[in-house]
Amino acid sequence: MTRIACFYVPMFPLAARLRSEPELLEEALAIVEGNGNNAHVVAATRRARTKGIRPGHSLAQARSILPKLIARGRDAACEHTAQEALLEVAETFSPRIEDAGDGVVYLDVTGMERHYQASGLGPQASVEIRAGETEARGPRPEASPELLLGREAIRRCDAIGLPARAGIAASKLAARVAAELPKSPRVVEPGQEAEFLAPLPLTRLAPEVNAAMTLDRWGITSIGDLARLPESEIASRLGECGRDLHSAARGIDPTPLIPRPLPPEFREGLDLEWPLVALEPFLFIASAALDRLTKRMEVQGFACTRLELTMQLEPDGFHSRAIELPAPTRDVKTMLTLLRLDLEKTPPGAPVTGFVIVAHPDRPRRAQLSLFGPAALSPEKLATTIARLVSLLGDGRIGMATTVDGHLPERYSIADYAPPAPPDARKKPPRSRGLLAVRVFRPPIPVEVITRVVGGEMQIERIEGDGDVSGPVRISSGPWRIEDGWWKDAPAAREYWDVEVGASVYRVFQTSEGWRVDARYD
Amino acid sequence: MAAPARPLSSQFRLLDLRPSQAKPVLVPPLQPVERGQREALRNLRASLDPAIARHLTSATELIRALDKTRREDFLPTTVDAIDTLLGGGLRRGKVVELVARRATGRFSIVLSALAAATSIGEAAALIDVSDHFDPQIAEEAGVDLRRLLWVRPKTMKDAVLAAELITATGFQLVVIDAGLHPVRGRRVPDATWVRLARAAESHGAAMLISAPYPFTGTASEALIRGERTRVQWLGSGKSPRLLGAITTDFRLEKHRHRKPGAPATCDLRPVTP
Repeated sequence: MTRIACFYVPMFPLAARLRSEPELLEEALAIVEGNGNNAHVVAATRRARTKGIRPGHSLAQARSILPKLIARGRDAACEHTAQEALLEVAETFSPRIEDAGDGVVYLDVTGMERHYQASGLGPQASVEIRAGETEARGPRPEASPELLLGREAIRRCDAIGLPARAGIAASKLAARVAAELPKSPRVVEPGQEAEFLAPLPLTRLAPEVNAAMTLDRWGITSIGDLARLPESEIASRLGECGRDLHSAARGIDPTPLIPRPLPPEFREGLDLEWPLVALEPFLFIASAALDRLTKRMEVQGFACTRLELTMQLEPDGFHSRAIELPAPTRDVKTMLTLLRLDLEKTPPGAPVTGFVIVAHPDRPRRAQLSLFGPAALSPEKLATTIARLVSLLGDGRIGMATTVDGHLPERYSIADYAPPAPPDARKKPPRSRGLLAVRVFRPPIPVEVITRVVGGEMQIERIEGDGDVSGPVRISSGPWRIEDGWWKDAPAAREYWDVEVGASVYRVFQTSEGWRVDARYD
Repeated sequence: MAAPARPLSSQFRLLDLRPSQAKPVLVPPLQPVERGQREALRNLRASLDPAIARHLTSATELIRALDKTRREDFLPTTVDAIDTLLGGGLRRGKVVELVARRATGRFSIVLSALAAATSIGEAAALIDVSDHFDPQIAEEAGVDLRRLLWVRPKTMKDAVLAAELITATGFQLVVIDAGLHPVRGRRVPDATWVRLARAAESHGAAMLISAPYPFTGTASEALIRGERTRVQWLGSGKSPRLLGAITTDFRLEKHRHRKPGAPATCDLRPVTP
């Protein structure tokens, strides 16, 4: 059964503001939305609330109640940061989290109770129960693992300055309602959602205004009252929203948890105290930044697939570059080597006063290894090796050779190496056909050829070229004509010969530009 | 003033314990980890019918047997002459060197070994120093190009570095083809080949070095040299000639476990479209 936890920060705009300005915590503070006459209070501190200030008051009303009220507008950047911090806390519990915005996060905690055993309180749980406290209050009732999880979540949120509440249930709706209740954390046992919701006021389900007024006229005040009414009657009177409200009242919430997409990027940077001119000191600092990046990505199970480096130059200006990695990797040495090669190839041209490295994440490749079949390659290891080989040899010098349609013998192409999974069982290789291969010369070697005509047929008598490709021809065989790309401006028309020179057989061809040796039988 | 040396007899007397005395042991002998399981398996086998007990195997025994089989396994080149000389093929974890200055079919043997390895699902790598590899011919020879990593370094130094990295990744066949004479960047320290041989051994990879002259020195397990080559042409007189075959005599010049000097002859025929 799926278990969903909800972390909820009440009065989120105020909590976010107090996280940034904690000195205002004891003041009479109101967070205001809107300008001028439209400004109204959305949240207020406890001190302001005790004086009678409520959300919905206009700023003028609030000031008339409390003239010394401190008013702050809603700060989008501040709230965004607070929400990110809340998400980061949620990610320390589960990789599947949904960002519901405004201080609400849902996370899938199915199966996590093993990490929060009440008896063990193992290292993962790290829930502290002080011995003195236990003795003073007497033996504490044994808490369920989910309750311990909720307490730990609240503790971690407190640590980042967000007073969060937690609720755990089988659906998002029940978890959200449980989290909104004052006594936190709340755990709703599986299948008990309807019983849990029944005594709560109907406003907890946040019904639409018209529906809420209608239900109020009917005398329906609690969720349980609504749940007891027949669904068809509610639907016929209140429409689709009534049906949804009735389902919610019975604890039915078909909305699945929608995990948030991969974080678009990870970034690390530094403003340097003095400008750097040499490469080595810069790489030393960049190495530390890459190390931090890879550790962050490792926590979330990602690897880097693309690196972007932006350097701030002196006196002003920026220099940016991007490095595509051949496969997702977390190997700092590889990334640093690629960075070094790129910087050596195109230096920034001015002293560097700061830099930002952005890593684009992707899932590292995984594979199922076989016990009886041939050994499979570890995808992550292979990716790292390929990245290092690319940094050593350069682009286009490593990969999977592929055949190309055509007639010219020298045709080839190279693609990314991605071997298929090995077979499950071993087998014997087929017997060799004993084929004679050729060594292709890239590019073909230009030679001078002396020919003679014997009996009306041309024979190659001698070849003059570099090194071994030189000497009298014992036997020549040919010609074989090849035409390729007749539809092009410059079609290839060649005559191929096999010639034996000094106990080696070469493949030579003649074009309009002269004679070339393009292969040796070996 | 020099201090008098302590006589050796008194030093050894410290260890000269009487036979009745138990010898001091600093650390008690470690108990084998799976001793209990092994005994339980032995008892179980003893209690069963021998015909059934023969088929009873523990997972540890199975994994060890598989590993042993894999290590002692050969990766055949499927060229009879070469496999005969090597006693079955390229031994996993060992380096074999194939040397020939002339056109003896050395590259064809390389392709045959690659074809054999890739056709059974093994990952193989060709480090092609002189960029001689032709995918069309290789596919014709039976190489599964999807399982072949083609590396084209510019020097032997880069080739050896690449081979070391690739071996450590888990490729089961690594071939370095040094190309033709003169080899680019020939000077590679002998210690590098020893290191490469150790990498091959520790990862159980078969390694084949194909070169115009010997490189590896003592690091290789076997060295095969291509000696005499005969080119056979089809057709005679006024009829057109056609390349029929290249016949090469190979000789086992060095082997750690076999008597050197054994000859073998290999016939290779060109690809006919």
